[in-house]
Amino acid sequence: MSAAVERSSLLAGGTRTRLLQAGPADAAKAVVFVHGNPGSADDWERLVGAAGAAGWRAVAFDLPDFGKTVAPDGFEHTPFGYAEFLAEALEELGIERAQLVLHDFGGPIGLIWAMAHPDSLAGIVLINTGVLPGYTWHSLARIWRTPVLGELFQAITNRRGYRFGLNLKEPRGLPPEFVDRMYDNYDRRTRRAVLELYRATPDPGGMSENLIGLLAPREIPALVIWGEHDAYLPSSYAHEQQRAFPSADVHVLPASGHWPFADAPETVERLLVEYLGRVGAPAAA
Amino acid sequence: MPHTDSPYDAVIVGASLAGCAAAIQLGRAGHRVALVEKQPDPQAYKRTCSHFIQASGVPAIERLGLLEPIEAAGGQRPRVHAWTEWGWVEAPPEQASRGINLRREVLDPLVRSTAATTPGVETMLGWSAERLLQEGGSFAGVAVRNPEGEERDLRARLTIGADGRDSRIAELSQVPVKTSPNARFAYGAYFEGAAPAHAPDASVWFLDPQWAAAFPTDENLTFYAAMPTKQRLPEFKRDPEGALVKFLADVPEAPPIREGRRVGPVLGKIDMTNRMRRPTAPGLALIGDAALAADPLFGVGCGWAFQSAEWLSDAVLPALGGEQPLGKGLDRYRRRHAKELRGHAFFMHDYSKGRRFRPGERMLFAAAARDEKSAVIMDTFATRQIGPAQMFPRMMPRAIAVNTRHALAR
Repeated sequence: MSAAVERSSLLAGGTRTRLLQAGPADAAKAVVFVHGNPGSADDWERLVGAAGAAGWRAVAFDLPDFGKTVAPDGFEHTPFGYAEFLAEALEELGIERAQLVLHDFGGPIGLIWAMAHPDSLAGIVLINTGVLPGYTWHSLARIWRTPVLGELFQAITNRRGYRFGLNLKEPRGLPPEFVDRMYDNYDRRTRRAVLELYRATPDPGGMSENLIGLLAPREIPALVIWGEHDAYLPSSYAHEQQRAFPSADVHVLPASGHWPFADAPETVERLLVEYLGRVGAPAAA
Repeated sequence: MPHTDSPYDAVIVGASLAGCAAAIQLGRAGHRVALVEKQPDPQAYKRTCSHFIQASGVPAIERLGLLEPIEAAGGQRPRVHAWTEWGWVEAPPEQASRGINLRREVLDPLVRSTAATTPGVETMLGWSAERLLQEGGSFAGVAVRNPEGEERDLRARLTIGADGRDSRIAELSQVPVKTSPNARFAYGAYFEGAAPAHAPDASVWFLDPQWAAAFPTDENLTFYAAMPTKQRLPEFKRDPEGALVKFLADVPEAPPIREGRRVGPVLGKIDMTNRMRRPTAPGLALIGDAALAADPLFGVGCGWAFQSAEWLSDAVLPALGGEQPLGKGLDRYRRRHAKELRGHAFFMHDYSKGRRFRPGERMLFAAAARDEKSAVIMDTFATRQIGPAQMFPRMMPRAIAVNTRHALAR
């Protein structure tokens, strides 16, 4: 089941971003999707529709310099800069209570937002992301973080290499149109943003203990979905999310990789819709 | 002094599938057989078992005259559909081999009552093996005991251990054993309600390295099984049913386990160490799991129980008939056992390590998912009707051709 997904735009913190929306448009309680790297609002189209059909207001947007969205001059490409953008977008949309759905780098961004707005976090869905105590960067991130080498790597990445490199690490291969769209969005701006973002994040697991200390006592409802064969963020972290979200329902998908919503879309949709059904009435009610 | 009976031709310890199959065959050939079982209940059955019988075991069952009664009791004749990341491996229906699915609760009493009513077979339920009897450097029967403390010496020309993976007879006889670790554990349960997509065929998921299966069986029940690697054990220990349902419901093209209702307990087996024993010693033979307890993941235990019982009976009948020394028959059995099963066991035990597929395995599975003829060869191998030595030469060239064609077509 899927509701019509409406595409429009949103001006938040000086960034005009693409907006995907479904469900009751003015509800103050909403499911908010935050994509990772490389990713865009398009990653969420199916799930936005599914959450909308379940009666929820659902929104997804490009992060600045991802997807088709251009960041304004002076935008800070750091987890904190992106978290601030997220706060501004939610404010602009009139969303007061959020069910965050986070993937990959959307994890740190969403969790930093949650640290600053703990009362606004109604629940959380973590897809191959979350608190990462003790995590050290995967090899690709280490390349991005190395000056000159990172630039060189970004400069020589072409469509063929991108497709090959990505699928090499995926257990089932990703749908070609999904990979192509990701590459289409992986333009010069995004490539530069990625370098800045990763270079601004020396210790991806650094905040984990603080987050756990802050979030665990609040007993926030949570769903964790993790592709078992994630080559970037190991699935051994899936159950660790229960340290921050003790009641989390954890699903490690045995045949999936880093993008379960692309290689197991039905399963992810089912789990999300069931979770939304569990955490209470949609905004409209 | 314990009571001593006049000697039997064979004493069999363990009246489960292998033991009963051997008793039926030896009894029908006119021999006097003692069939000893420590469970006193004639309706006893093995609980932790996926009950799937590979197609390789069907001829032996047919020969015992058990196939028709099994089908009459509700036994299914499933083909196997195997999910891989390259798609389903499924031989065309008319060429796919069929195994048997019948709950052990039904199968075991059926096989045991057939054995018990076979002329020449004396069934002794509630007796357990205490020690082996010896005579002139050879085993010569077994001393048994019942719960009342009564002891009997059952002297026999041939002692057969059919008492499972933790075989007492194997332990007493001190035959050499090779073990290899199993990195997986197993949980499973019967469910009623919605049937899985390929029913009555069986579905298995090779999730590399995780594994799951759905076996539709009699009474419209389905046995769901999960064999994950041990890192998943904590969630299963915490909530066995919840974890089992979640595991099956999250596989690609998942079966409708959540729409079903569990009947009977959730069964678990944590230690599935592979055990391979030398199946013979002077005057003694091991059959079934006692000889080779292979990884349950491949569903071979029940079928091999019937097959090894058949190989043993065929091999020793001339000797029991007085035509040749027993040692010769036992040698023949040991060679047959090795020839039929050693190759399979080698690859199974290697896969028990919980590792991901090796490149060669990826190539074979991919070809089998893409090409019908490869799927038929794979099916014949996976249902254990041919060994690796027959499978590889047929499969390899084809797999290379199929995968090359696939790569070029893209």
